[in-house]
Amino acid sequence: MEELRALADLDRLIHEPARLLIVTILSAVESADFLFLQRESGLTKGNLSAHLTRLEEAGYVKIQKTFKGKLPLTICSLTKTGRKALDEYRQKMREWVERAD
Amino acid sequence: MNANQTEIEQRVKRYWYTDGIAELAGGGMLLLIGLYFSGQELLPAGSTARTLLEASLALLLIGGVLVTRRLVNALKIRLTYPRTGYVDYGEGRKNTGSRRLLTGGIAAAVAALLVLAGQWVGSFEWITAFTGLVFGLVFMILRARASGLARFYVLGGFCLVLGVGLSLSGLPMGYSLGLLYGLIGLASMLSGSIVLARYLRANPVPSEQ
Repeated sequence: MEELRALADLDRLIHEPARLLIVTILSAVESADFLFLQRESGLTKGNLSAHLTRLEEAGYVKIQKTFKGKLPLTICSLTKTGRKALDEYRQKMREWVERAD
Repeated sequence: MNANQTEIEQRVKRYWYTDGIAELAGGGMLLLIGLYFSGQELLPAGSTARTLLEASLALLLIGGVLVTRRLVNALKIRLTYPRTGYVDYGEGRKNTGSRRLLTGGIAAAVAALLVLAGQWVGSFEWITAFTGLVFGLVFMILRARASGLARFYVLGGFCLVLGVGLSLSGLPMGYSLGLLYGLIGLASMLSGSIVLARYLRANPVPSEQ
């Protein structure tokens, strides 16, 4: 029962598979643009946009419109809050898997 | 989850080498260093031209690194980012002054040790093999293991074999070092060109950004 309660404590915003993938990709870099995230995640533009908006609203992801040379880019990066949330999520999942074993 | 996470991180790191641009530019830089060593050997000892060439090594290295970085950045902006997206690996954050100082200090200490070892052994012919070994390890450990790309194992193996072969060839050290750098540079450029050609074929520019 305790294991199940631990699962209920998980951050559901990150626990969603598509968002977990986005956050994990962003945790490996300083920042990445929309096109890269779309290709790496395999999500459609609309879907990725919706997930990014939710992550931005939660303060986990920062989105900036900028230019690299003449190329317009939508740059996404993980905030400190987002990184902390991902670390906590990983820790909780690890603990839960160890307990379940 | 950890396995997936590592796999995702490796895939993201691999993206830097997906277009071959870094190998192409880095190979060009190595080719220039190779020409520098060979040129040094060709010029008569004590001549003004040779003295000037010897004094310009630092300029070549610093200038080469700066030009290579700019070139890679410019090519990626033009070719890679519009096709498959932009990634900032945050090298600026890791590349702090203390880290650069430490790297420079280690390089200077290794160079001093090599000179001492050469004097002790009474020969510097093995320096070429040692350089090949260093390049081999850089390709195999820093690049192949971090990115999971097999072509870097091939390049690393080539560096090891070439270094030992040139060391045993009996060529003067300047020529053998020049050939080592030049051939590693050419191999890297060849590998980069093939990867870039494949990348451009596989990823046409999207009609809308």
